Parts: sequence; C-alpha cells; structure tokens
Amino acid sequence: MPAAATLAVAAAAASIPLALAAGHADPVRVFLLEWVGVPYVLAGVIAWWCRPQSGLGPLMVAGGLASAFSGWQLAESAGAYTVGAAFDIVPAALFLHVCLAFPDGRLRSRFDRALVGVAYAAAIGLQVVKMTLGGVEPANLIEVSRQAAVVATVEDVQLLTLTAACLAGLVVLAWRRRLARPRRRSLALVVDSFALALVMVALLFMTATFGWPGFDEIQRVTLFVVGLSPIVFLLGLLDARLARSSIGDLVLQLRRDPAPPDLRDALAGALRDPSLDLAYWLPDFQTYVDLEGHPVQLRDDAERASTLIERDGQHVAALLHDRALADDRQLLDAAGAAAGMSLDNARLHADLRARVEELSGSRARVIEAGLKERQRLERNLHDGAQQRLIALSLRLSMLEKHLPPEREVRQELDAARGEIARSLEELRDVARGIHPAVLSGHGLEVAVESLAARAQLPVRLRLDVRGRLPERIEVAAYYVVSESLANVAKHAGAGEATVSLERSDGRLVVEVVDDGVGGADTERGSGMRGLADRVEAVGGRFRVWTPLGGGTRVQAEIPCV
Amino acid sequence: MRVAIAEDSVLLRAGLERLLSEGGLEVVGSCETAEDLLLKVRSYAPDVAIVDIRLPPTHNDEGLRAALEIRAQHPSVGVLVLSQYVELGLAMKLLAESAEGAGYLLKDRISDVKDFIGAVRRVADGGSAIDPIIVSTLLSKRRSDDPLDELTPRERDVLELMAEGRSNQGIADRLVITLRSVEKYVSSIFGKLGLPSGGSESRRVLAVLLYLRS
Repeated sequence: MPAAATLAVAAAAASIPLALAAGHADPVRVFLLEWVGVPYVLAGVIAWWCRPQSGLGPLMVAGGLASAFSGWQLAESAGAYTVGAAFDIVPAALFLHVCLAFPDGRLRSRFDRALVGVAYAAAIGLQVVKMTLGGVEPANLIEVSRQAAVVATVEDVQLLTLTAACLAGLVVLAWRRRLARPRRRSLALVVDSFALALVMVALLFMTATFGWPGFDEIQRVTLFVVGLSPIVFLLGLLDARLARSSIGDLVLQLRRDPAPPDLRDALAGALRDPSLDLAYWLPDFQTYVDLEGHPVQLRDDAERASTLIERDGQHVAALLHDRALADDRQLLDAAGAAAGMSLDNARLHADLRARVEELSGSRARVIEAGLKERQRLERNLHDGAQQRLIALSLRLSMLEKHLPPEREVRQELDAARGEIARSLEELRDVARGIHPAVLSGHGLEVAVESLAARAQLPVRLRLDVRGRLPERIEVAAYYVVSESLANVAKHAGAGEATVSLERSDGRLVVEVVDDGVGGADTERGSGMRGLADRVEAVGGRFRVWTPLGGGTRVQAEIPCV
Repeated sequence: MRVAIAEDSVLLRAGLERLLSEGGLEVVGSCETAEDLLLKVRSYAPDVAIVDIRLPPTHNDEGLRAALEIRAQHPSVGVLVLSQYVELGLAMKLLAESAEGAGYLLKDRISDVKDFIGAVRRVADGGSAIDPIIVSTLLSKRRSDDPLDELTPRERDVLELMAEGRSNQGIADRLVITLRSVEKYVSSIFGKLGLPSGGSESRRVLAVLLYLRS
C-alpha cells in the first residue's frame, strides 16, 4: 500500500508541472484541478492507512488521480493530452461513487450500484466514443473520423445521463439522511458537502448541455465545492482521532471506579454518541438487560448498531450506539476494552437487579396463588359443610313438633342442636382464618370495621379508603390490621388502639397504633416478619416503631396505582 | 303475610319455604339470584324479602346490594338479610339511616324456628331484627369511665334485647317480667346513657346501636 500511495501522490504532483508547462493554460483552472486532485489523494491515502479494511480510501485516491489525469488535457504533448481528454468526465463518476459509498466504502443497494455503473459507462464509454469520432479539439490520438453532429448528440446524452445520476445520488443521500441523521457532526458535515457538490456537478453539466451562460464561473465554483469534500472528510478523520484520544481520558475516569450509571455517561462522552446505551449479558438468563435488569433487544438496523464486548472470552456487555459509529470498529473496541473491569461490575449490578426482579415477581405470584387457593377453600366450606349443617339443624327443629312430649327427648334434641351450633361457630372461625369473605365481598372499610368490633380492646377507626382496591392490596392491608390488633391484645397491655387507613397520592397507608408498653420484639415469632413479607410482596414498605414504654406503631405503605 | 326468598342453596331454600309456610307465612316468590328477587319484589309486593348476602354470580355483595335496593325502591317491603357471618360494618351499611323494616341475622338463627318466625314478622311489620352477636360484640369491650358501667345487670339484658330490635312486649316475654317494668328499665337506661327517650321501638334500635358503636 505505501508504494501505491507514493505513486498516487507522485502522479498527482507530477500533473502540476505538466499542466503548467502548457503556457496557454489558465492558472486558476490549473489551481482548481489540483485543488480537487491533491486533497482527494491525500484524504484517500490517510483513510486507506487508518482503515485498511474500508474501500473508501482507495476509491478516493482513484478519484484524486482521475482528477489529476484530467488536468493532462491542458498539456501540449499529444499523448498526455489524449490521456487527459479520456479522463475529462471520469472524476464526476468517481465522485458520485465516493458520495454513495461513504462512509464504509461499499455501495449498499442494487440501485446504488446501478447508478454508479451507469455513471461510469457514460463517463468512460461515451467519452471514448466521442474521442474516436473527433469530438474533442484538437485532434487526439484515437480519433478515426470527424462526425460533429453525432458527437454533439453523444455529448448531450453523456452529460444528461450524468446529471440524472448525480440528482438520483442526491435523492439517495437525502433519503438516507431522513432515515437516520448521523449523530456525529463531522459525519453529517461530510454528507452535506457531498450533497452540495452533487448539486453543483449536475448544474455544471446542464449548463454545458443547454449552453446556459456563465459556464466558466460555474465550473470554478463546482471544482471549489468538490474540493471541499475531502477537506471536510479529513477534519472528520481528525475528529475520530480525537475521539480515540479520549479513550485515554476514559481510562482515567474509569480508574476512579464510577457507579454503573456514570459508566454509561463516560462511554457516551468518549465515543461522542449521546444516544449510547449499555446492555449487559446475563448468561443465566441468556439475555441482555439494562441496568435495572429489564430485558433489552439488541438492534442492528439503519439507525442503531450494537458492538459486543468480550472479556477473557466471555460475553460481558454490548454497546448500543448510533449506526454512524459502526465504521470505527477500532474506537469501539478500544472503548470496550478500557471499560472492561467497570463493565463487569455493572453487569453484576444488572444481574442482581434482574434476580431481585425475578424473585419479587415469583413471590407475588406465590402469594397470589395462595390467596386464590384460600378463597377457593373458604367458598367450599361456605357452600358445603356450613350450609349442610344449617339445613341439618333446621330439619331437627322441624322434627320437634312431631316428637313425644317427654322432656328427655327434647333435651336430647336441644343438645344435638347445640352441638351443631358450636360446630358452625368453629367452622366460621376456621373459614374466616382461611380467608375473610367479608373483605372480598364488601371491601376494606367494612372488613376493618368488623375487625375492630371483634378486637378484644376498644379500637378507634379513621377510615378513608374511598372505594375498592386490587384484591392483593386489600388482603395485605387487612392482615396488617388483623395481625397487629391480635398482637396488641396479646402483648401490648394497651388500653386502646387506633387503626387508620388513608389513601392519598396513589398509596394506601395503614397504621395501627396502641398506647401499650412498647418494646415489641419484631423478630419473635413469624407475625411481624410475615406481615413485612406480605406488604413487600405487593411493593409496599412495612415499618414498626416500638420504643419501650411508648406504645407501638405499625405502619404499612402500599402503592395502589 | 307474604314473603319472597333469595337463597342459592337448594337445601336451605327448601327448608326456609317449609319453615315459613308451616309458620303461617305465604311464600310468594322463591329464587336463587338477586336479580330474580328484585323482579319478584316488584311483581308480588311481598311484606318482607329474605335474602342471602352471598348470591350468584360472584357470591360477593350481590345479596347486600339487592337488599339496599329494595330498601331504597320499596320502603314498604321489609328486608331480612341472612348470612353465615355477621359483621358490624355490614349491619351499619344495611341500616344506614334507619332500622325500620330491616333485619340482619346469622343463618344459624333459622333453626330456632319460633324466634326466627318472630323476627321475620317483626321486620315485615316495619320493626328490626339485629343479630345478638352484633349487639354482644358492641357490648363486649368498653372504655373506662363508660356510662354503661352504671347499668344494672337487668338493665343490660334489656338493652341487649332492645338493640336486637325486640319490642317491649317481646322483651317482657323473654325476661318473664311485666310490660310495665320493661318500660321502667328502658327509660332508666335512656336516662343513664343520656339518650333522648321516646320514639318508636324500631327507631330506638339505631340510636342504641350508634351509641354502642361510637
């Protein structure tokens, strides 16, 4: 490659004295030809060197060389002149090729390839036809006859074809930009300069075809604009270099072991892509997740691309970035390598979050399933045993008037009915313990009022629930009240208790306060722990204040949106 | 006296029908859903509707809603709610403004046939029938310096029966005392609790319940 590069630079440079040797040449035109040729070659060589795998460098070198060769038509030697004339229009086709192949050097669609193919055919094929038919002054080496009328038509077709190809290229650029505006400003600028140059080339060819006035001026402006593109491109490369140097800053930043959220910001800054995101690979879940442990889908489309980061041969994370970054693989890999250790930490963090998420989900499901099962059991008791016992007791009563009047018989009957009444009472307690039917049927306020009425000490109520809540929330709140009142009765030695239910700002706050001895053991037995579990399983918070001698306050805050 | 019944257990419905007919009441409608009950109440204008609190389809609050609707739409129809659990909150919801023509009893009570028929008749006549469990729950725990402490045991008995919705005559029969002495106890109770005396027998039920609940 260095040999090819040297040759290209030499050829471009050589064209200068060659052109200047022609005494009659307009120095401005010579300057403008070099203005296009030399930056193209230079930019191409540098791009080739920076990114050998990209085809853009060689393509730009070819463009610069073609431009330089086209300058040879200013020479007086017939050989050089013939070469120059043959290359007269080629730079336009190569330029279109560069525009469409930017930034990775490949033509993306069949349409792009067809467009560039047509442009080459018109620029080279028709030019050769023109030259053999004597279309260029003065005579060139491959001229066989002079057919002025035919040449004029061929030239019109040639220039109009190239005009159409440039305009179509412009449409392609505009379309791509509408799909995804590159987020790196330098890239966007290169595309803009290409678009402007395509407009000028099309204008120049139309001026030539239709004989509009001001051809010379337009040609100068066009050459000037076309020569701007490689300069903008070089600035872009410089920007990418700077980006790569910011990897050094990144390493320094990461040495301070940033918190996982800051890691993203540091990477986004180093890669100059504010849209950058990170996804962490969790081998146990076989999925990528964000920092909160939520699954993330990697994208690879017109707008976004992903770069996988490995560490010691293990998947660690993926960078989700702007498509435009994808052609700077070295930069991405460097950033990934620099972030390695911190990424590992962040991945553990994400892994933990995902597990917590999964656990709380499964805890909620377990509690939900338990609730359903309890409701089913309570219903079965209610519809089955309880109804039957009542009906049985009723039948015994109906028997009464058919019985002989002996007292013993009636006493037996009364005893039997008493047994049934006690069984019913026990069953009622069992059923209520399994699931408070009044809660499902009539809501929290009614159920808590009943709890307070049944409590073994006076209970003040402050109820402000306003309507029904999701059942799991009602059940959690109900158990907080019922367990707490039971604890107060058993341990607190309290004179009275206050139960308040307040719903505000999308939360239900349940509080049970007593005026007892305080100092409750929150770990003893499973009571408090079980309550905390219930409340936390529905996303709430459970707290207990129990200073010695200062009563006990149990509070549950449950989100209910 | 005409009765409509809504009860989804076939066994109990049949038992209720038989019990009521044998007790001299006419069962004009018997069904298993709240919707049907509302229809029957509209069509047959019974004196009292007996309704199970848990009715299809969800077995949640259909029965109570039907009861409240009948009380709102047909004030002349008494409503007796039966349930396998009695809850103070539900009683207060059912009574709301007045205890007239309203009853709320544990289902178990139907096996005490005579007393149950009495309760049905009372509710049909515009009186009340409140389950003893509710009254005893309310009386079971009181704060210190409670005016209730000043009641004599006999007065407490009278208070309980009064809160259940029984008439003075009913209380007299229950306690085997004269009507005169019941009246004496009642005015003494109202005086000790600081409640305004007088008013109909069913109006005083709510007053006593509200007093006990406060």
